Amino acid sequence: MKSQDVLVIGGGIAGIQASLDLAEMGFKVHLVERLPSIGGKMAQLDKTFPTNDCAL
Amino acid sequence: MDVGRHPNIRLLAYSEVEKVEGELGSFQVTVRKKARYVDEAKCTGCGACAEKCPTATVDSYNLGLAKAKAIYRYFAQGIPSTYTIDSRYCRNFQEGKKCGVCAKVCQAGAIDYKQQDQLIQLEIGAIILATGYDVFDARRIEEYGYGRLPNVVTSLELERFLSASGPTHGHLYRPSDLALQASLPELEKSCKKSAKGFEKYEKELGQTWQDFYAAYQRGELKGAEYDEWAEQVRLWQRLSDELEKKKEQAASRQTAHRIAFIQCVGSRDIRFNRHCSGFCCMHSIKEAIIAREHDPEAEVFVFGMDIRAVGKGFEEYRNRGAREAKVNYIRSRVAEITEERDHTPVVWYEDTKERQVCTMAVDMVVLAVACEAPAGLKRLAEIVGIELSDFGFVKTRFSEPLDTTRSGVFVCGCAQSPMDIPESVAQASSAAARAAQILTGAETLRLAS
Repeated sequence: MKSQDVLVIGGGIAGIQASLDLAEMGFKVHLVERLPSIGGKMAQLDKTFPTNDCAL
Repeated sequence: MDVGRHPNIRLLAYSEVEKVEGELGSFQVTVRKKARYVDEAKCTGCGACAEKCPTATVDSYNLGLAKAKAIYRYFAQGIPSTYTIDSRYCRNFQEGKKCGVCAKVCQAGAIDYKQQDQLIQLEIGAIILATGYDVFDARRIEEYGYGRLPNVVTSLELERFLSASGPTHGHLYRPSDLALQASLPELEKSCKKSAKGFEKYEKELGQTWQDFYAAYQRGELKGAEYDEWAEQVRLWQRLSDELEKKKEQAASRQTAHRIAFIQCVGSRDIRFNRHCSGFCCMHSIKEAIIAREHDPEAEVFVFGMDIRAVGKGFEEYRNRGAREAKVNYIRSRVAEITEERDHTPVVWYEDTKERQVCTMAVDMVVLAVACEAPAGLKRLAEIVGIELSDFGFVKTRFSEPLDTTRSGVFVCGCAQSPMDIPESVAQASSAAARAAQILTGAETLRLAS
């Protein structure tokens, strides 16, 4: 059976971006994250380069 | 973040991929959804359970710099906001122990100690790997003293210190001072306890401990019992002196003023990783600038072989650091970090411009730890059936940087190689486009003419 669903492994900034893009295109996305919440390393950062804006 | 709300995204947090079979267009994937012991549908994320939970653990989101409970939320704004019981610590899961406090206080009735891991079968067309990276364990470079010297921290730990939601609410106190502060209540307790010991004697003898001790020292009171009492007094004196001293130290503590950033910790080092981690030069400059924003008097030093500011606007940012935050870039290689009195770190380095070995005492050292392939990637690669590069990241070709060695499986972000956030985001969108292209066939993506 052919499926058009996409599996994204990893819920950091890359996985989140890929998931949102595909979901917006109309694909059904399954996002798997090892930890209890998504966000990844970026969620641990205080502020990000180059604008020094808040990471979250 | 819209991921939790998007109708087309099914979020499987606290889950791992166990098995991948089939091929492009029809992969059969088994995902293990680990038991949280909390019902995701019922939990409202109110936090009453964690407030009452009697078991303290370390907070892994804050890299062990703060405390958490055995029932926890990974971080405050996390999605999903469901709480999770850590069965390694929770009393209910230790043999012969009982607790059940969280189940009692949960008004939603979401606690379920009997919850089991769930195996979920998925029919999948394409797979995108976005497993990110691990930071290098700086303990492996013994001469830098990480883990042994309290005021040597990693760049990610510094992010938590600088963050308003972090363990120090954004104040850059030295970890040794924080440890001192944290030790005070315990010391105060043992001090009080030992004082209680001789209150009893005071009553019995009808004189104050000072009089008793003076008499004892003059040799007027002899015998094993008096020896014991005198020992009690000495212990109390020792403890209260220590407490006073530590209290004084804690009161006079200041935030870190002189901060040294050490570059290439575990990267570009043939002993550990030969590759350049790419983003550390910029994040150290960023952290230096932010530390300066928190404390305009701060002095910041960046020790590195060179500063690799290769992206758009990066060189300007580097110069802005020097101009506005007075970042001192020292072209050097750091050999060792030692410690002086009061846990002051001393950086031993070779200034490669002056060709001299120099030392510098600072308040805090920040190690720009390397970006490494995540520990679990090897196993995942076996499960998914893809190859890894010599550096342990997912193998791709120059001409197809998002395609792995297996058709229908794509990669993006640091799982492919070290890269910064904008690059990861760009790659993620590209990988999404590749997946869409391959699933629909290029025809359908063409604009109708």
